[in-house]
Amino acid sequence: MKFDPNRPIWLQVMTDLKTEMAIGKRLPGTRLPGGRDLAVQYGINPNTAARVYQELEKEGLCETRRGMGTYVTENVEHISALRQGMAVRAVRDFLDRMAVLGISPEQAAEMIRKQEE
Amino acid sequence: MLESQSITKKFGSKTAVDQVTMRFETGHVYAMLGPNGSGKTTWMKMAAGLIKPTSGTVLFDGSPVGIESRKHIAYMSTEPYFYAWMTVKDVGKYYEDFFEDFSYERYTGLLKKMELTEEMKTTSLSSGMMAKLKIAVTMARDAMVYMLDEPFNGIDLLARDEIRACILEYASETKVLLLSSHLVEEMEAIADKAVFLKNGHLVDQVDLEEMRREKGISMADRYREIYGHEEAQA
Amino acid sequence: MIKLMKYELRKTLFVKLIVLAAAALAEIVFLIGVLGDRERMTGTGIVLLTMLAMGGIMVIGLASVVTLHRDVSTKQSYMLFMTPNSSYSILGAKMLENGLSILLAGACFFALGALDITLLFAHEKRLDALWNTIRSFLEQFNEQITLDLPTMLSLAANLICSWISTTAAMYLGVVIANALLKGKRFSGFVSFLVIVALLWLIGYVQVETLDASVSIRTAYWADTGVALGFSVVMYFLAAQIMERKLSV
Repeated sequence: MKFDPNRPIWLQVMTDLKTEMAIGKRLPGTRLPGGRDLAVQYGINPNTAARVYQELEKEGLCETRRGMGTYVTENVEHISALRQGMAVRAVRDFLDRMAVLGISPEQAAEMIRKQEE
Repeated sequence: MLESQSITKKFGSKTAVDQVTMRFETGHVYAMLGPNGSGKTTWMKMAAGLIKPTSGTVLFDGSPVGIESRKHIAYMSTEPYFYAWMTVKDVGKYYEDFFEDFSYERYTGLLKKMELTEEMKTTSLSSGMMAKLKIAVTMARDAMVYMLDEPFNGIDLLARDEIRACILEYASETKVLLLSSHLVEEMEAIADKAVFLKNGHLVDQVDLEEMRREKGISMADRYREIYGHEEAQA
Repeated sequence: MIKLMKYELRKTLFVKLIVLAAAALAEIVFLIGVLGDRERMTGTGIVLLTMLAMGGIMVIGLASVVTLHRDVSTKQSYMLFMTPNSSYSILGAKMLENGLSILLAGACFFALGALDITLLFAHEKRLDALWNTIRSFLEQFNEQITLDLPTMLSLAANLICSWISTTAAMYLGVVIANALLKGKRFSGFVSFLVIVALLWLIGYVQVETLDASVSIRTAYWADTGVALGFSVVMYFLAAQIMERKLSV
């Protein structure tokens, strides 16, 4: 994964994992790699990897089961809420970028409809 | 775990390390940064016991470095240092003879990853292969402190990935990993703390993720801030 | 310590093997001479063996000093000084390995010499001429030489131990040059002066501790003792300087 070294890495890895959960690449209840494995996989410091799981757990997206590892939450509503939230953010980002170009949300919506035809 | 207290080293009229007080704790991977001549290598050699300080001390686990600390500190220098008559196997056997924490099994595993064979003679190794051998033999030790001076220098991309993975596997609560390198970007993600040396002085110590969050800059950016445009290596 | 000594031997192995090979060659020449009744070859063999005995032991000692020099002044010093060994162990291993090598070489040459002389007497063809050649050779060392075994033994012990003390003095010189005078251009010269001064001192003590009345044999053994005593002192001094002051 290519990091932006100017922003906290844990945040970027967390976003990556969240995306995987949102799109179903990591299904609810499945096991996430151990802290050290996550560190090696992403090429990040183990403390950073630990932080990722800490933050995911805070957001209720994963849970650590003693002696067994960390698992994606089985709360399906939570995952779809996550997906929804990420989608909304994507829309907002798009609209912000359009606003910079001087295009209003309505005009942007029109452009989308035209694209689909 | 490893700290220097006002450590100074003078070579004649030149001061290589000037009253440096630093502390390295277990559970972290430190990037030690600075251009050539900033004192990084000299500091490490004093911690390894190879150079005697002009004043000040280096403490390992509370005691001054010496015979006992050398049992637990693994140092990898930038220069090649094996005896000319040795083969790769001899190097491993030597380490096995003198370091209790050395595992020959781990050594052969690392040799395989580095694409080196035991029969090779140290004199016939290219500089890249020598660099890989130094890493392999150092990391085959199960030390408490690893001080790697330019571990990525002269090493091809794939081997660098192997080294990075090895470093991350060793990083744990009980170990201190201290890496010094010019390849700042290589270490961006694997280090979690950084110390910056300039002209023998300690100029900054940072927690990297915190710095990214608070200032929105990378370790490379901070490097450029401190050293200006003299040394912006990639 | 044993492990350190093992590596010290390995570092100087090449030189020692050469001396061994040369000695074997000289012995072959001698044997051909004696068994084949070729007086000139016998003479050549004897001369070669005597020269090798002196020269070989010197070379072994010098190789050890050169190795020490390399071990403190080049990057291969990291091999020794990164290991959890004290300077006492490191230097002690060098001295012991060197001492043992020299003793072994000396003993071998001595035994070889004794064997060869016995062989020579057994063959007994015009020994006088040969005997005089040998005698004049050895007379260079002492006027009243009596060629009986105990005296020869004391002479051999003296030569061997004086060489050991010389190498010990050279060790100290090398350590002083590298630990105390590091980087300065005159360090080689100063250490040379130190070595010469030490050797003079040893000689002085050897002379002063004896009076003329003692037998050659006693004198040789006493000198041996002094040489060994000094070796120990110089070792401790060198190890102390290494431990406290040496940066590689």
